[in-house]
Formats: sequence, structure tokens, C-alpha cells
Amino acid sequence: MTGPAIAPAYAGVDELRRVARELLESGEVRVIIGWEDARRGARPVFITDPAEADKLIFDTRCVHNLVTYLDPRRDHVSELGRIGLVVKGCDAKAVAGLLRESQLSRDHVVLIGMRCGGVLEEGELPEPLALTPENVAPRCYGCDNREPTLTDHLLGEPQPEPPRPVMTIDERVAALDDLPLEERWAFWTEQFSKCVRCYACRQVCPLCICERCIVEKTQPLWIESAAHPRGNFSWNLTRAIHLAGRCVDCGECERFCPVGIPLSLLNRKLQQIVHDRYGYTASDDPENAAPIGDYRLDDQQEFIK
Amino acid sequence: MSERFFISETDLRGLTADLLDGGTEVIAPVATDICQSPSAVAATACTLDGSKVEIDYRQLTSADDLDLSRGLPQLSLKEFFLPEHEPLCRWRQKGTTVQVFEVPTEFAPRVVLAAKPCDAAALAVVDKVMNWDYEDELWNGRRAATTVINLACQVIDDSCFCTAVGAAPDDVKGADGLLTPVEGGYVYEPATDKGRALVEDFAARFSADVPADTIGGQADDERAAARARVADNLEIDADSVRDWIEANFEDPLLTHLAMRCNGCGACTGVCPTCHCFDIVDEQEGVGHGTRRRLWDTCQAPTFTLHASGHNPRDTQHVRYRQRINHKFSIYPLRFGEVLCTGCGRCTRVCHAGQDLVEILEAIDIAARRPRDAEPAEAAS
Amino acid sequence: MNIYHPLLTTVTEMVDETPDTRTLRLEFQDDAVREGFDFKAGQFGEYSVFGAGESTFCIASSPTREGYIECSFKAIGKVTTALREVNLGDTVGFRGPYGNWFPVDEWKGKDVVFIAGGIGLAPVRCVIWNVLDRRDEFGDVTIVYGARSVEDLVYKRELEEWASRSDVKTVTTVDPGGETKDWSGEIGYVTPVVEKTAPKADNAVAVVCGPPVVVKLTLPVLDKLGFADDAVYTTLENRMKCGLGKCGRCNIGPVYVCKDGPVFTAAQMKKLPPEF
Repeated sequence: MTGPAIAPAYAGVDELRRVARELLESGEVRVIIGWEDARRGARPVFITDPAEADKLIFDTRCVHNLVTYLDPRRDHVSELGRIGLVVKGCDAKAVAGLLRESQLSRDHVVLIGMRCGGVLEEGELPEPLALTPENVAPRCYGCDNREPTLTDHLLGEPQPEPPRPVMTIDERVAALDDLPLEERWAFWTEQFSKCVRCYACRQVCPLCICERCIVEKTQPLWIESAAHPRGNFSWNLTRAIHLAGRCVDCGECERFCPVGIPLSLLNRKLQQIVHDRYGYTASDDPENAAPIGDYRLDDQQEFIK
Repeated sequence: MSERFFISETDLRGLTADLLDGGTEVIAPVATDICQSPSAVAATACTLDGSKVEIDYRQLTSADDLDLSRGLPQLSLKEFFLPEHEPLCRWRQKGTTVQVFEVPTEFAPRVVLAAKPCDAAALAVVDKVMNWDYEDELWNGRRAATTVINLACQVIDDSCFCTAVGAAPDDVKGADGLLTPVEGGYVYEPATDKGRALVEDFAARFSADVPADTIGGQADDERAAARARVADNLEIDADSVRDWIEANFEDPLLTHLAMRCNGCGACTGVCPTCHCFDIVDEQEGVGHGTRRRLWDTCQAPTFTLHASGHNPRDTQHVRYRQRINHKFSIYPLRFGEVLCTGCGRCTRVCHAGQDLVEILEAIDIAARRPRDAEPAEAAS
Repeated sequence: MNIYHPLLTTVTEMVDETPDTRTLRLEFQDDAVREGFDFKAGQFGEYSVFGAGESTFCIASSPTREGYIECSFKAIGKVTTALREVNLGDTVGFRGPYGNWFPVDEWKGKDVVFIAGGIGLAPVRCVIWNVLDRRDEFGDVTIVYGARSVEDLVYKRELEEWASRSDVKTVTTVDPGGETKDWSGEIGYVTPVVEKTAPKADNAVAVVCGPPVVVKLTLPVLDKLGFADDAVYTTLENRMKCGLGKCGRCNIGPVYVCKDGPVFTAAQMKKLPPEF
């Protein structure tokens, strides 16, 4: 029986461990946040002891977007001191998002960029697998940032493009768009009926950083907290709209959802609209201003009547 | 040895059909394509390959839906006894006059078929808090109305640890009977009057012929093997763990469990024993509304937030500690039961890598360590 | 009726204790409930405005006064803001009484010292009246109460009533800068005023309630005066929802504030893990 081959780690792991060790030894950072191999596969790791730098890995299982740990509300992380964060290109875009919105000060984090060739949909495997159309994370397709630019260190070697997935996210969005409205509505009703309002999507999203989320507000109550269709639609659509133009497509919301709601389809659709109307897609250049938070004289506004 | 019966594969499906035809709700594990839309195009829109299935406990519409060869459903049986949201009362207000209407506390009889033993055991564990001085009629009403028939586990992975916390893959705790897969069908052992009633009411489906040297022995062997498989994953001294947590509340081992935890609450949602709830009023129109209870999570930052702004648990560290404390120390101290049946869902669903097997192992080691030895290395 | 089903009360009196604190007097709408309702000083209830939700307050009136219950609150959150908008004759929901109580019967023959700060007087007021309504059964009664300013003193009418009684020693204080020109009470924070008042600890019990800082600073003073830890009582508050031990929210370590409390002795409090 054949399956996908085991893939070697991406180039740059030795460099990564060396850089991490040096950053900790010199005191330039107090903690390195990267990925490690554990009982159930790859997962985030917090290293404060330079002797443990060899725990760091970088392979196709390193799916997690570690930028979520830069959320200013995560006191238990920020109180450690300056952070050395390992980032893929997609992750670096999230850092740019935080910088753009003044939620992070650039000197609070040392960014260790890894040249990446794509990741698996799920990293909880004993060995890294070679990427195939069936197992690659669909969001990797067409990645424009395999060599992140927002970095302090850039490690590894240029990697080939990841394989095209069986169906790209854009194709999935298009398939939904092609449905008549009632069927599309029925599809999302079915999906949101699964929602248990755990807020995993919000907690893991690197750009969901509001000190007080709209769903926590009671005066007035904007979104009902019960997991009935009314509340669920309200929550999921509001979150998607609050991310329009900000979402970096890291896919973590969908990956974390314990009931498997295809949130990436919602976010991608809004991303397409923002791109069409404002010519903008989130990048890892913090100077590139986002439509929300930036006004241009030539902004389309025919919808204002 | 308790009474044993044999029921064939066909007869079990037939029994399901009998129950459904008689108007009894049947809940069982069902495998569904990851996208449930009836539209074929939409189906391909969200599946990568057609074979991705979700397993859920669902109300069956037909005996054909019954699928007993699968692993653990992604959500537990909890939602059928403590729904994600349920009305506690309804009101109608006109001027200053308010009428409050009761909600039913009696429910139609129903059967859960092929429950996972960890999910059924969880019901017995939560029964304790639900009857602590005040009897929760909504929970009890649903419990009374439900006959739970377990299916001894065959699909076990390395996140299962039921045997470490007083449950087992072939347990009947919290359930009314147990089915064990054997050649051609199942051995059925009723554990309560409700479980026995199933045999009495559908006698034609069952046979009392369970020879010990064939299917009887098969059942026993299967179950022993399953227990051994789970015990391999984790063994702890739950009492020592309970006492160590109580005595070492501020130990770095407990406060540094949560570095990678996102506070998302997925673990509490999928957990069969997590029962914390919120109560809210929902205005549903002019002058009327519903007071509901809904699932809540101790992992949410606002769980213990006072109106004054003070929050006794204001970092993820201490919120995660609360979860471990509640399950493995507080509940055992108050009710004599671990608030966990080792189903492993929290570990499987945590995509940040929090691993309860690893955590319990570390605490168990610390608990068993002699007092004057080195402090435990934090499971970071 | 399930255990979460609320009883109905009518607002029969409303007093604005301070610009932001209001007391409501509530009478049960059902005759049988009104006649049979009983509780003990220190217990709490879940008061609700239908449509806004439930909020937890102690029952601020004494069980010796039948036919009504009272609550005092500040409008801070959604429900308390809605309660603030309630008028005479409106309906307020109630579930309770929940929790434990001050063991007033065990204090017979003893001196009783009441110490409170700010709105902390609300949970103490119920037991003050409980003791005063059974005055003969107790020794000396001392009340030390303080707030940030004269305006912030709650239960002003009752403070005057207590001060005018010869069988109660009442000491009222406001923070320095909080006095008015005609203020004749003490000026100082509650804790030093307690020290100055120096109630005798021998055969006495003390009840302390107030903002955490007041309680925290007053306990050592009582200790110094000779009060044993199990002779000092306080009432804790924590965020609560069900009030009856099931929703898992109010616990401090293995102690459930709604079941093992809200009344605790200083001895019990000191054993609690640092989680409140």
C-alpha cells in the first residue's frame, strides 16, 4: 500500500536552532515561539532555555500560525519579555496586520522567517508527509510570500511551489457562488447550525484582538450568545465582516473549529470583494495601508446613495 | 455473571426499525459527509475528497443510518441531556403584569443506541452535581426518559485514557446495557430495569443462547484487549493527583500548562463532563421572551469577570489551571468522582497541542514523587 | 416548576441611597409565597428584570421583617441598569434564598461588632437589623461604617436611627476630603477608625464587609485587637449565575461561594486559594 512519502524537514532547521539559541543566550529575546514535535505531532513550543533550542522543527507539519501568541491580551506570553517568533510567509502577513493597526510594537518581536514550500492541512502526524493535491492545505496554493520579507532573519532555501489542491479555495467559493441563493442559504444554515459558540475561531485568529469582542458586549447586546441559528449566523457573519480586508488566509479558524465549519470560504469571499473594489490584499508590508483605516479620494463609493 | 443475550446484526437493525416505527426516538452514531448540503456542487465545494466523514450522535430517521463500526463521535452525548441552549422559562409582559410560563420537565422516552462507554459514564458523573441539594428537573427528566445502550469500544487510539479515570471501554456506568460486537452480531448485557425492558419488549430480536466457549468468550477477550489497549496509554493514581493539585495550587507545573492554550473553549465544548452554563434572557418580541441556559466555558476570559471589572481569573494560565483543578481535584473532593471519563476529545480537538495524557502523566509523576525530591519539570 | 423558575415580586418602595445606589423593596405577588417565605440573614437571591437577565445580591432586609425583601445595588452592568429603570408597581423576578447565613443564634450573649465600607453595608444591614430586632439576646452592639464621602453613605436614614439608639454604639466615617461642612462624624478610612474605636474582642464576634481593600486591611486590625479568626465573619461575592451550585462559575478552589458561602469566617477565608 502506498501513501504520500515521508518528506524531509525543510532546509534551514539547523540554522533555525542556532539562531534561536543565540538569541536566547544573548538575551535579545526571552522566549522563542516555534514548533516542536510532540506525542501527537507538531505543535507550538515556547522555549526560554537556550539548551532546548534543538526542540525546534520546521517541516510540512508546521501549520500553526504562531502570530496568535502576539495578541496583546495574552498576558502570560507578553510578560515573558521580547519574543523571537518563527514565521512562514503567511504568518508574516499577520504580523504586518498587527503593525499596521498599531497593535504591536516592532521592537517587541524578533521575526525569524522560514522559506516555505507549503504545509499539510493538519500537522498532528507522527512524520512530515510530502505534499500531494489531497493533503496540502488548500490556502497554500498560489502563495505569493514563500519567502517572507517582514523578517529579522531569513532562513532556509527557496522551495518549489506547493501542489495544486484537488479543489482550490477560489474554486470552492465559485462553486458556492454558482448556486441559486436558496441553496447557498441552505448550505450556510446547515453549517452554522453546527456552531457551538466556542469562539475557537476568534481565539486563534491572529487578527481578532479586540480588547472586548463585540459578542461580549451586553449594553446593548449586539449578538445573542445562545447557539441557535439566529445567534450563530449573527456571530459568524459579524466576525467575517470584521475581518474583511484584514484576514491573511492562514486558515487557522477553520482548522480549529471543532465542528468543521468551512470558515475559509466566507473569509475568502470577502477578501475577493475587497480586492475587486479596493485593489487590496493583505501583504506582509505594514506600510501598505488597508482599506479599513485608510481613505483615498478615489475610493469607490457608488453604494452611498 | 449478568444475563447475556445474543442479537444478530440484522436483528439489531430490525430492533432499531421497531423502535422508530413505534414512535420512539433513537439516537445513535451516524457518519455523514463533511458537507451536508443536498446540492452536489456545494458538496464538492467543501470536501477535498469525498471520503471525509464526520461521526455524530444523531436522531435516526431510518435504521439504515445506523453505523456502528466507527470511532468516537465528535461531540458527546451531553447535548441530549444538557442542550447547547434550552429554555428555563418563558415570560409575557403587558404593562406591569408579568406571566412566567413553565417549561416541560418530562420528556418522551427515547433510546441511545451504541453509545460510547466514556460518554455514558459521563452522564453518571454529572448526575452528582445536577442533584447536589437541588435536583435539576431538566437534566433528570431527560435522564429518566432515556435508555442508554453502550457499544463496547473497538476503535481506540492513543488519546483514549478512560481506564485511568475510573471508566472503561466496556463499562456500563451511566448506561442501561452493553452491546459487545462478536461474530454475526452482538452480545447484549442489560444492566438496569430499563435495559432489561428492551429484551422483554422486543423478545423476538434476542436469543438467550450465548455459549461461553464461542461468542461469550469472544466478547470477554475483545473487552479485555480493549481495556489493556487503553491502559497502555495512561495510568495514574487519581487520588494522589487530586490531593497533589489541592496542595500545590500555585506550583509552576500547574501554572505553566497553558502557554500554547488559546482559550478557545473547544475542549469544554466537546467534553462529555464539562457542564458549566450561563443563564441569559432573550427578548423575542415586544413583551415576551425566553430565559435560557446555554453552554459556557471556564476558558473564556469573561467567565469570572465581575461587573466591577475585577477578574479573579484574568490570564489563560489560571483559567487552564481551573479546568484541571475542577476535573481532577475539586469535583473528586466534593462528589467522589473525577470529572473526566478519558474520552480524549479535548486532546484530539486541541489544535494548539494541549495534551491531557501528557499533562496528567506529569501531574501523576509529581504527585508520586517523594516530598524532598526535585520539583517537577513544567510540561511546557 | 423547575429550580430555575423565578418567583414574581412587585416593587413597593424605592430609595436612592446615593446617586448611584438604589434600594428596592419587593413583595411577593403570590399570597402563599408571601406568607411562607423565609430566609436567614446573609443569604442571597437572583433578582431579575425580564428581558435583561438575573443579577446576584444579598437579601438586604432582615428575616425578622416579614412580608417583603429588599435589595440594594449599583447600576454597573446590563441587569443592574435595567433594575435602575424599574418603577413602583413593576415586576421583578426572584430566585432564592440561596447560600449559607450568619449564625446569629450562636452569637447570643456575645458582643457583636459590625464593620462595613461603602455598599458593603448592604449584606451587613440585614444582620444588623436581625440582631437589633432581637436586641436582648446580645451584648454590646457596635457599628463602624464608612464611605468615600457623605454622599456615598448608604442607608442614611438607618444610620441616623442606629446612632440615635442608646443601646448601639454607631461610628460613621468618611474618607479625608469626603466630609461636608456640617459633618459631625469621624473623618478617616474605615480601618484606622476601627482601630481607634477599639472594640473589645473578649466574648465578641465581628462582621466585616466592604470593598476587598477594606476587608483586607481590617482583618489584621481585628486580629491585633484579639479577635480569633473564627469569630470574624465576612461575606464574599463572586460572579454567580445559577446560585445553586451547578453552573460551575463561582468556585474558589473547591469552595463554592453559592453553597459553602457567601458567609465565611476569616479562618475559612485564609484557607482559600488565591483566586478571588
